[in-house]
Amino acid sequence: MHVEMKGINKSFGTNQVLKDAAFNLKDGEIHALMGENGAGKSTLMKILTGVYTRDSGTVIVDGKEVTYHSPKEAEEAGIVFIYQELNVLFDLTVEENLFMGKEITNRFGVCDKKAMRAKAQEIMDRMGVHIPVDAVMSDLSVGQQQMVEICKALMVDAKVLIMDEPTAALTQSETEVLFEVINSLRKKGVSIVYVSHRMEEIFELCDRITILRDGTYIDTKYIKDITMDDVVKMMIGREIGERYPKRNNAIGGEVLRVEGLTHEKLFRDVSFNVRAGEVLGVSGLMGAGRTEIMHSIFGNLPLVKGKIFIEGKEVSIRNPRQAIEAGIGFITEDRKTEGLLLEKSIAENIELCNLGKVSTKGVLQAEKQASLVKRGIEEFRIRCFGPHHECDNLSGGNQQKVVLAKWIYTDPKILILDEPTRGVDIGAKKEIYSVINEMAAKGVAVIMVSSELPEVLGMSDRIMVVHEGHVTGIINGADADQEKIMTLATGGSL
Amino acid sequence: MKKENKNIGAFLSEYGVFIALAILVVIISAISPEFRQPGNFLNLLRQASFNGLIAFGMTCVILSGGIDLSVGSTFALSAIVCAEMIGHGVPVIVAVPVALLVGVALGLISGLLVTKGRLQPFIATLITMTAYRGLAMILTDGKPISRLAESSGDSLLFKAMGKGNFIFTFAPDFKIPIPIIILVVVFAIMYFVLKHTVFGRRLYATGSNAKCAALTGVNINRVKMSVYAVSGFLSALAGLIMISRVDSAQPIMGSGYELDAIAAVALGGTSMNGGRGRIAGTIAGVLIIAVLNNGLNILGVTSYYQSVVKALVILVAVLSDRKR
Amino acid sequence: MKRMIKLLFASLVALCFTACAIVIDGEEKTTSKKVESTGNIGLSISTLNNPFFVTLVEGAKKAAADMKLQLTVVDAGDDVAKQASDIEDLVSKNVSVLIVNAVDSDALTSAVKVALSKGVKVIAVDRAINGVDVDCQIASDNVAGAEMATQYIVDKLGEGVVTAELQGTLGSSAAIDRGKGFHNIADKKLKVAASQTANFNRAEGMSVMENMLQARGNIAAVFAANDEMALGAVEASSGAGKKVMVVGFDATDDAIAAIKAGRMAATIAQQPALIGETAVKTASEIVNGKTVEKNIPVKVTLVTAENAGK
Repeated sequence: MHVEMKGINKSFGTNQVLKDAAFNLKDGEIHALMGENGAGKSTLMKILTGVYTRDSGTVIVDGKEVTYHSPKEAEEAGIVFIYQELNVLFDLTVEENLFMGKEITNRFGVCDKKAMRAKAQEIMDRMGVHIPVDAVMSDLSVGQQQMVEICKALMVDAKVLIMDEPTAALTQSETEVLFEVINSLRKKGVSIVYVSHRMEEIFELCDRITILRDGTYIDTKYIKDITMDDVVKMMIGREIGERYPKRNNAIGGEVLRVEGLTHEKLFRDVSFNVRAGEVLGVSGLMGAGRTEIMHSIFGNLPLVKGKIFIEGKEVSIRNPRQAIEAGIGFITEDRKTEGLLLEKSIAENIELCNLGKVSTKGVLQAEKQASLVKRGIEEFRIRCFGPHHECDNLSGGNQQKVVLAKWIYTDPKILILDEPTRGVDIGAKKEIYSVINEMAAKGVAVIMVSSELPEVLGMSDRIMVVHEGHVTGIINGADADQEKIMTLATGGSL
Repeated sequence: MKKENKNIGAFLSEYGVFIALAILVVIISAISPEFRQPGNFLNLLRQASFNGLIAFGMTCVILSGGIDLSVGSTFALSAIVCAEMIGHGVPVIVAVPVALLVGVALGLISGLLVTKGRLQPFIATLITMTAYRGLAMILTDGKPISRLAESSGDSLLFKAMGKGNFIFTFAPDFKIPIPIIILVVVFAIMYFVLKHTVFGRRLYATGSNAKCAALTGVNINRVKMSVYAVSGFLSALAGLIMISRVDSAQPIMGSGYELDAIAAVALGGTSMNGGRGRIAGTIAGVLIIAVLNNGLNILGVTSYYQSVVKALVILVAVLSDRKR
Repeated sequence: MKRMIKLLFASLVALCFTACAIVIDGEEKTTSKKVESTGNIGLSISTLNNPFFVTLVEGAKKAAADMKLQLTVVDAGDDVAKQASDIEDLVSKNVSVLIVNAVDSDALTSAVKVALSKGVKVIAVDRAINGVDVDCQIASDNVAGAEMATQYIVDKLGEGVVTAELQGTLGSSAAIDRGKGFHNIADKKLKVAASQTANFNRAEGMSVMENMLQARGNIAAVFAANDEMALGAVEASSGAGKKVMVVGFDATDDAIAAIKAGRMAATIAQQPALIGETAVKTASEIVNGKTVEKNIPVKVTLVTAENAGK
């Protein structure tokens, strides 16, 4: 299917998000769509699939000018959007999800379970994925859920598949499976729009790339003709310099040591330490237990056994309050459900961790509140209307800065960051890296859990790799490379 | 406070419930000369004080992400405990604080079921609601306890709670009923606590996103226990005012009050999912319900139609609030 | 500005402590200014969820229409607090005579006192209002009615039969009085197998009766404190295939139909329409300055298959 979008304009209220945007998709190609958060990628795709109506401009599909009024119309024409926030019903089975709204019924209007299961199995086989069709969605990994979403798209004979950050929640091996599937779809003539921030993936997978900036069309290039630096330059309109800024601070004494941390079933016998001014990267596959180890150190997950030492003294941490008192700050993996009060303002979020600082005898002090929040917005360069801006309306990067601000003002001795740059655009990513470096320079012991290998390699002094609840190795940053980490992460040894 | 430009829509959603209240008062006043007498407004406010106190507690519980169905039963049981004590010769000065503490304890039981028992608030308080009503029946043998003022030896404290009026000696005709004063004082305290204290912040945080609040060191169980205790206390307070006013405590009193309180909270724009809402909205909601009850009575609308009119007004108010 | 507010607040507090007092409603020494007589009548009814009171209100409305009087009816929905508010509302509306059908005999004392202190005349109907001296009381005697109904069971089935009692809403004075009347006779002459409440409600009457029959198959007669529960009991016993003699109270249309059909044995006819009518007539006499009797009894009668047609 050939899609051509020209001169697209779209405003929400007074805010023009697309200005003369354009996009061109050929038959059977994988086309990357890149741009910083807020550049208009999602809006453009939502206009194509009829979620939004355009203010002006033309959309031509296979030579005919079209306007879809709803995602359903677009789907009937063969254009399917797979959202980043997966659109699945978690309590239902795979087969029920696949056939939601398109159930096969017999002539009495009763669901024909048998036929649906057979069809579901057939599609799974065709895709080469092995997921039991009667498994309940919530029991599957995110990667498997994503596969189900793709299968769902194929059920309607999609000719154009739009994927928004499909690998954001996937492990390396799941990503590889996904890429195989995408490649095989391309061979069958399906065109794929691939929206992602992950440069490495785009260069591995895609044929062409289109770049948007501030709602305007910048350029479309063949991947083989350009470099990553070119892309970054086009996206942000200037040179960004080093992707991972250097850090030259001295590393001090040990701040945190854990010995033999063991959970009922998620991880066993985890021991490691972090020193002042050091960044310890934590790598491993999704579900290896990295996040859970961090939650247990923070007192949010009960341990069967194990000891935690802070500055040489054993401490007992049974809940997050005690962890905070002991000087630990924890930036969780999922900022939307764990890190932020989304419907609350920037001010309320930053203050939440620092209520003691902005109050006297339990009564809030307006002046202290205002100065703390003002400092946060300025120091972290949070782009917003002001302290009362709701966090829900901030971009991913700015949300993450709010989370950073609220924790960093608690003056932690130990800062744990779980996937700090997930869903954050390149400019904001670099600012977050700078904050991490500043913290390290101040002598804070930093633990950074990340699924992005280049990030772990670029930022860490040492890298700890976790495989199925075990620490399989701790290697020096200088000696590490992708291959070594992947070997350890899949259970091999060096 | 807010620097952003606000359009009319935002203004309406912020103050819609107050505007609705004003419109309602203006319309009924225009139709009925009896309604617009100052004496009637005092009546109306006094009638609103019971639902008001209960709805304040309910606001806290709903803000924390819960719900308290047991308020009506707590209202009755605490009042009956007080009435029984007075009937057995316990001085009012002792009976009243004890009954209020009973209210707190009853609230804490609901809180325990929610936190330690990990029951959903709806189920937990459905259980306590049923249990407390049964206890009220058992304590009284199903019969009302009457002539309390007489049993209390004509205690001024007891009579003043519900029937008292505050006057200035130089203007004896200007009377402010004590229940209204209690309502205003409790409102002021609640407003301050929710808006200007650490506890208030933690309460909003718990209701907004309990997971995030817990991870930022908020003891969410303590917050939840507190709101049910507050709700129990205020229900008991309302119950005491009621028995003082009608001079009798019935085991069936207060049944259905949870629904009026929830309606007032909803009218006030508080999100039923928690985390979002204002106590000022709740008082406006309480007043809308009170104005409707009083106004429709004075207009002589048949009670069957009254219910439908009330439902319609609540529907319109809640819908206009939803349009953001 | 802040200082101004503080000053104002402080002086207000000072004022409160130096020049204030508390007065209790209905106990003021000087009665508050009396309201001009409008000749209007207010009727506060305990509930309109019960056909009996609906009939009472209809009788009152008809009488008021015949005499061209203005009558405002408010429904308390069986809630004493609501009724206290209703009475205040009617006083605000400047009624001259207030007809009160109390939800509870003891809980309206103060509200009625306030009304009387404002010069409003008060007539209590169906239920007494304790602790105040109302201008007139109109009621049928519930105790006597229940005694009459229970005696009918004794007359028909003989002494010592196994009998069950369906009580009304616990705490309501009708339930208390009718229960008292029943026990006055039954405790001496019948064998009372079970006494349980069904809240004056037909569906509850049915399920309570089902349970009773399940537990005690030999129940021969039932006294229900109102017809709604009695009809529930009729359904339950016919459902269980048992022949049970059911006696009710109130003589609603449904109950009379059931008596005619032989499904129910008897009921006590209060005459709600007559009570309503009498109340309005008495009110009109008061408005016209006539003195009225303190107690006006309204006749109750036993309705059985023999006289149900009339």
